Amino acid sequence: MQETVKIGILYSTTGPYGSMGRDARDGADFAYHDYRAAGGTRVELAFFDPHADLAAYVEGARHLIRDEGCRHIVGTITSAARKEVIPLVEKHDGLLWYMCPYEGFEANENVLYIGGCPNQHLIPLFEHLIPRHGAHPYLVGANYVWGWEMNRLARELINNVGGTVLGERYLPLEETDVERIVADIAEKRPSFVLNNLIGPSSYAFLAAMKKLGERDPAFLPENCPVASCDLQECELTDIDDGAGIGQLCAASYFDSLDTAENLAFKARLQAWRPGERKVSSVFASAYTAVSLCIAAIEAAGSEEPAKVRDKIVSRSWPTLFGEMHIDPDTNHAALPFLLGQINPEDGFDVIAARPALPADPYLTGATLTLKPKLRVVS
Amino acid sequence: MITRTPNFTGWRATILTEEDGNTERLRRQLSLLGIEVHCQWSPIIESAMPKLILVDADRGWDELLPWDTGTPTRPVVALLGSEAPGRIAWAIRQGAGAIIPKPITASAIYPALVLAVSIHEARLSAERQIAHLEERLKLRPVVYAAIARLTSERQIGEDAAYSVLRDCAMRRRLPIEQIAAFFLAGSEPLREVGKCGR
Repeated sequence: MQETVKIGILYSTTGPYGSMGRDARDGADFAYHDYRAAGGTRVELAFFDPHADLAAYVEGARHLIRDEGCRHIVGTITSAARKEVIPLVEKHDGLLWYMCPYEGFEANENVLYIGGCPNQHLIPLFEHLIPRHGAHPYLVGANYVWGWEMNRLARELINNVGGTVLGERYLPLEETDVERIVADIAEKRPSFVLNNLIGPSSYAFLAAMKKLGERDPAFLPENCPVASCDLQECELTDIDDGAGIGQLCAASYFDSLDTAENLAFKARLQAWRPGERKVSSVFASAYTAVSLCIAAIEAAGSEEPAKVRDKIVSRSWPTLFGEMHIDPDTNHAALPFLLGQINPEDGFDVIAARPALPADPYLTGATLTLKPKLRVVS
Repeated sequence: MITRTPNFTGWRATILTEEDGNTERLRRQLSLLGIEVHCQWSPIIESAMPKLILVDADRGWDELLPWDTGTPTRPVVALLGSEAPGRIAWAIRQGAGAIIPKPITASAIYPALVLAVSIHEARLSAERQIAHLEERLKLRPVVYAAIARLTSERQIGEDAAYSVLRDCAMRRRLPIEQIAAFFLAGSEPLREVGKCGR
């Protein structure tokens, strides 16, 4: 008889990014369902919910590794949580499957990154926005490394094209008092707003920007868009009366993707759990991480992380993101760039797309100079 | 202030160590950063100087690095497992600007490079500044001599004499010491008090 292999699933289903955690968990669950439906029996999932408590992530990872015997953990949403878990994964020579967009500057041998770093989301986003709206943005962010680093990069990009950042403000996680920021934006009149807030702060900000647009058409989404890199379908229902409509988000997957793989995926999902659910990129990427992990374990004939990693980087894999190739040097997935515009149905319309871009986590390429044709003539 | 994203693409680094598991991880991360890595356990020859040096400080000896202790001409990162004060002191003497603890973890490497390079640049800039100030200090007696001559020849006070020299220096964008030297040598007549012209 085959020995059972357990994959650890580590997401917080509560807290400021709880809706993303719940979607990720569901995505993992659905991947498992697909695996079972196809006759798979060897792999099982073991769940742990740290409830957004940073210290509990280490406890959770320890439980999954020591008590459940997991060599693979799929999970964490924030960089802070990932950084907590990595030393333990390194120590036990496991593999962490991280599937959220993040701010880059990491390439750990014991981590596979399938969520994208700035050269796959922020830089193409700016290459889209600057020629259309100008190089005088306003930057807002959550007061932690994601917000800080994304805005620092944004500032560098803007500086390199000769533009000016008109303002940069931060809010603590879960802070929803956005009025002063919005008043400042109304005064500074930026060409667009980069929104690196997360969760309820972000929803409150979008609602206040909508009101500002109603008072002053210069701030309607078509004139001064608010662009994010981490907004999800599962969050749109939490935003008051369609306040996000017309605003933008960069991602590598949207529910509305019109590919055969995605349509089949959504049909299977409907059959599993009928309902109105839209698939978010975090659902899709958790699904992908778990599916790839299972597929690679089976293809390698072993759950040994080094063998699984070698298998995963040895070829490309069909996924919801298209054929996915993971770079054996950086352990990062090449990912397509999609620009979504929020529609009244709590979904995104894809308004711009680029084929899969290899990840450059340390920005060693010349990507920081943007493309010369985008240079702003002052 | 804009913090630029550090970029090491195209750099050459030498790791002074014997090859082991640590070296392997180090090589991987440095290559990811676009750095060409060379590993040796013998002194660096000055003619083959890399742009960055990483050295095993647990076992390193003075001759590994091609400079008198304390005056590094390249950024240095110490690889250190030991906590022995003597080894830490050795790393400091070689000019290490950052430490990567052993066993090496991937996340320790990039921050250490950025820190060591930044400290090296700050050190060079401080050295230039000190050399400049020392030069000016050496020339202070020349300024005093010029002030003394101006006060006696032009019947003005010391403050006024200093102002004459300073205004002239500013106008000609030269150090005051140099204007004073020109004046004493007769090549800068300072004919009109408060004006400099010829």
